[in-house]
Amino acid sequence: MNVILAVKQYISKMIEGCGGGMKVLLMDRETTSIVSMVYAQSEILQKEVYLFERIDTAGRETMKHLNCIVFLRPTKENVDLLAQELRMPKYGLYFIYFSNVISKQDVKVLAEADDQEVVREVQEFYGDYIAVNPHLFSLNLSGCCQNLTWSPPLLSRTIQGLASVLLSLKKCPMIRYQNSSEMARRLADSIKQVISKEAALFEFRKTDVAPVLLILDRRDDAVTPLLNQWTYQAMVHELLTINNNRINLASVPGISKDLQEVVLSAEHDEFYANNMYMNFGEIGSNIKELMEEFQKKSQSQAKVESIADMKAFVENYPQFKKMSGTVSKHVTIVGELSRLVGAHTLLEVSEAEQEIACHSDHSALLQRIRALLANDKVRHIDMLRLVMLYALRYESHSNNDVSGLVEALKQKGVSVEHRQMVQAILDYGGKKGRGSDLFGNQDAVAITKRLLKGLKGVENVYTQHKPLLFTILDQLIKGKLKEASYPYQGTVQLKDRPQDVIVFIIGGCTYEEALTVHNFNRTMPGVRIVLGGTSILNSKSFLQEVSMAVSSQASTLQSGRVARP
Amino acid sequence: MSADIIEGFLCPICMKDLGTVTQLQGHFEEEHSSEDKAVFQQLKGFFDKAKKRILGDKFEGELIQQSETTKREELVGLSGYDPSWWEDQEIGAIRSHTDSFKAIRDARVNHFVVETNKLLIRLDKLLSPDAPLDPKKRKAYEKAIVRWVPDNEVPACLSCARSFGILTRRHHCRLCGGIMCDRCSEFMASSYARKNHNYLVNPAHSFHGEGFLKRTNSNTSLNSLVGNEGESIMRVCRTCRKLLERRDVMTEQRNTKPPIVQIYDKMKMCIKDAELILPDYLPMVESLSQGETQYDYRQAQIMRTKLVKLYEAVDQLSKKIMVFDLNTEQGANPKQVHLQKSIRLYASNFMQENLMGLQALPSEEDYNKLRQRRAEEIQRKIAAERQAVMEAQERERQERERLERERLLKDLSPDDGPKLGHRRVASGGDVQKKKLLPNKNAFSIGSPKTHNRNPSDENVGKGWKPVEEVARVSKASDPMLQQMEIIKGYIRQAKQANRTDEIIMLEQNLQDLYAEYQRQRAKDHQSS
Repeated sequence: MNVILAVKQYISKMIEGCGGGMKVLLMDRETTSIVSMVYAQSEILQKEVYLFERIDTAGRETMKHLNCIVFLRPTKENVDLLAQELRMPKYGLYFIYFSNVISKQDVKVLAEADDQEVVREVQEFYGDYIAVNPHLFSLNLSGCCQNLTWSPPLLSRTIQGLASVLLSLKKCPMIRYQNSSEMARRLADSIKQVISKEAALFEFRKTDVAPVLLILDRRDDAVTPLLNQWTYQAMVHELLTINNNRINLASVPGISKDLQEVVLSAEHDEFYANNMYMNFGEIGSNIKELMEEFQKKSQSQAKVESIADMKAFVENYPQFKKMSGTVSKHVTIVGELSRLVGAHTLLEVSEAEQEIACHSDHSALLQRIRALLANDKVRHIDMLRLVMLYALRYESHSNNDVSGLVEALKQKGVSVEHRQMVQAILDYGGKKGRGSDLFGNQDAVAITKRLLKGLKGVENVYTQHKPLLFTILDQLIKGKLKEASYPYQGTVQLKDRPQDVIVFIIGGCTYEEALTVHNFNRTMPGVRIVLGGTSILNSKSFLQEVSMAVSSQASTLQSGRVARP
Repeated sequence: MSADIIEGFLCPICMKDLGTVTQLQGHFEEEHSSEDKAVFQQLKGFFDKAKKRILGDKFEGELIQQSETTKREELVGLSGYDPSWWEDQEIGAIRSHTDSFKAIRDARVNHFVVETNKLLIRLDKLLSPDAPLDPKKRKAYEKAIVRWVPDNEVPACLSCARSFGILTRRHHCRLCGGIMCDRCSEFMASSYARKNHNYLVNPAHSFHGEGFLKRTNSNTSLNSLVGNEGESIMRVCRTCRKLLERRDVMTEQRNTKPPIVQIYDKMKMCIKDAELILPDYLPMVESLSQGETQYDYRQAQIMRTKLVKLYEAVDQLSKKIMVFDLNTEQGANPKQVHLQKSIRLYASNFMQENLMGLQALPSEEDYNKLRQRRAEEIQRKIAAERQAVMEAQERERQERERLERERLLKDLSPDDGPKLGHRRVASGGDVQKKKLLPNKNAFSIGSPKTHNRNPSDENVGKGWKPVEEVARVSKASDPMLQQMEIIKGYIRQAKQANRTDEIIMLEQNLQDLYAEYQRQRAKDHQSS
């Protein structure tokens, strides 16, 4: 149940299958991202893959002495482009791998184009998703929900992506879905159909306890993506946006040229791997340690006098070079994060956010929000988020003052489009759309728990919030998840407690939820959970998602638009 | 690991060597039981395990394993990210369409192959030396080989659909006999035809020049068999031309290797050879530089030279690839350049990974010294351990005596006969002793047996490897030479990275080092 490894094994197998000699890897836009998430370029280079080409690049050079590994999604355009390529082959031999199920008809089209007999293999390798962490995957789709229902092209892409996750992990699961969500039900039905249609493919060795695929809808928990985050990975995504492990730092003041875009990959960056789930304070001290270590090393480089010095330095030279890259990267990122935190008083904002999400003293909160709205340092987007959170939290509170806060936003000069988002979030994730008790208001146990928590105080005011996913998974693992709210697709039910769980959130998941899943994996022996979403959200992309979901005109404009690669 | 490693039955708290298991256990129960319950429990469990596994090396393995698991737990606790919690994963589902693909393709391609072969056979006949040269006779000859489609069956050109008449005349393809108009005809130079024909006999034949002639606007010479340059030509239709060309391209590709591929293959061969030698060489150096006699020194030397030669070859070849064709061709193809650079990068990565770790052998002289020192070391160690064991046994004996005395004192007072009690205790002691003996043997600390042997006997040392020796001796092996070798490697790397300041600095250091080395050597000579 490691999605990174699953995709990596596919890619390695492709390269092995191609034999020795110089190789070129021919991909499309999406498979390029898929491969880049699991393999560093230098790593793939050592396997004699020297060139990377896109199938849609016109006028590629002919190089017959290279063998070509083709890794494509089985789309119509790709099949056509590949047929063209085969009619006039630019490379020696072709080893073709599709990332998903390809129709017999398409195979025929390709076979008929291969007059020169250059094709050696045609196979399906189900790496049709972006593996972000071992337990986290994304499909990089935005705007799946339009007019509060599936956008058809994105539904079919989601089905393909999710089916490929199952195939690559060799899981034929029982499917559960969120009953309140029509979208979740449709996706569950479609996955079931795929499984029965490709029954031969889904025949895996039976495990004692069947794996579970749990399909959720973002609309059930619209709070989590609105909160500021304080663990490293989540924070970087929230404030700087991670895109396929890449971070664009071009807007950072005074950035040097080679740091304008940096890669944060836990597979290849030890510091990041060790710190991605640490909170901001811990990272501060860890980065200081890293700096000191580095300084010690660079000092020893400065005065290589004794033989021992020299020996140590020479032995460490490659690591040294690597380390200097890591250090400057992380120092820049953390520096920028703390600049943003300071400039926009994010700590105060975050504290208020957490209060809204976790406590229930209405009047005190309202005052606090008003005070923050009056603060000139707070960004408009943060003000908006506070008001949105307030609107969600006190939707049915008798004294709620949403209109007053929106008015305050107006006075601050927040644009109309943004102010409309307050209503939009209620339409998207308000009471009507929710199936579960997001704020723990109905359940007596939850209320007492909340009270107790309030009395005891919390360790860290910035990280009190636990996403709804935590409760759901907790119940699922204990076998207590209510069947009425999360029914099974089909009649078969799981009697035991589940061990292997794949959770998929329509509308996107967050890094906070990834951390939650990570903690489950770490603390619960025998339980393995993989989390996925149509995308990985931060508040910015979530607002886009919401506005697309509720506006009906946008549906034609935005349909089929996919997140930037 | 820290430099000084202590071995033996150490108390984990006060680091005292207690000599035997029972001693240690007793010591721990007495001194530290109150201090740390957890450690005590662990230690106790550990002893139980150890008792079960009498074999010494297994016991050692256990130790290592335990420290490894604890290390791993620490790691898990610290890092947020450890995919190794999850068991090995088999590769995901795969489905192959290769067979159905090939079935469809072969059905289609077979048609071409049959057609092409037919054409080649005809071509063979048409080009045979017996074929008449006189135009009229030749036409009859051609008609006899290929059935020409009768003129009246085809009212219009099959490829452009222009109707035939006085202006548009019918022409026959010499290979398939089909009819087309003059504009749709293709002309094949006979040299090209011969090349195709030659492939039947000798596939290695190569051909340069233009196969099909470009049409000229003049109509005059078209009927003759001689083209503009005086070469004889043959009229064929487009379909036949395509078939022949297809075959031509495929054979060409099959039989030629561009020079860059040849260099590349050579480079790969060297890398492969090096990879074969490396796993043999590395343990050799390791062992030799500790003064062990397991491997032959000369052989290792030969291997090293081989490796260095291979690396040099890889370096040279990859450099050659990098600059290949860059100057001759104006504005070289950027992808090709990229490819060549990538190959060079691949080679230098390979060398960095393996060459940097390529330890130099100790010089022959040093090796002999090492060997001697090691032998001495072993002797010393044996003596020390024997001493330790003896002391431990002595201590144990004293302890036992003390216990016996205490028992005796106790036994004296109650009703039971003192003799009986005494005997019981003594037998208990015997049992203990017997149990301990095999243990000691297995730990190879030096059992009573080896005691009686001649301590200078070389065989004693051969049986086992003292662990701490490894660290000590490898540090002592001539650091100067090794250092110089490493620095040389580093200079190479710095040159690659074009870091002139570092190169200068390192070269300076290398010279200093060499001077120092010479000085020491001279000093050594004087003193000896």
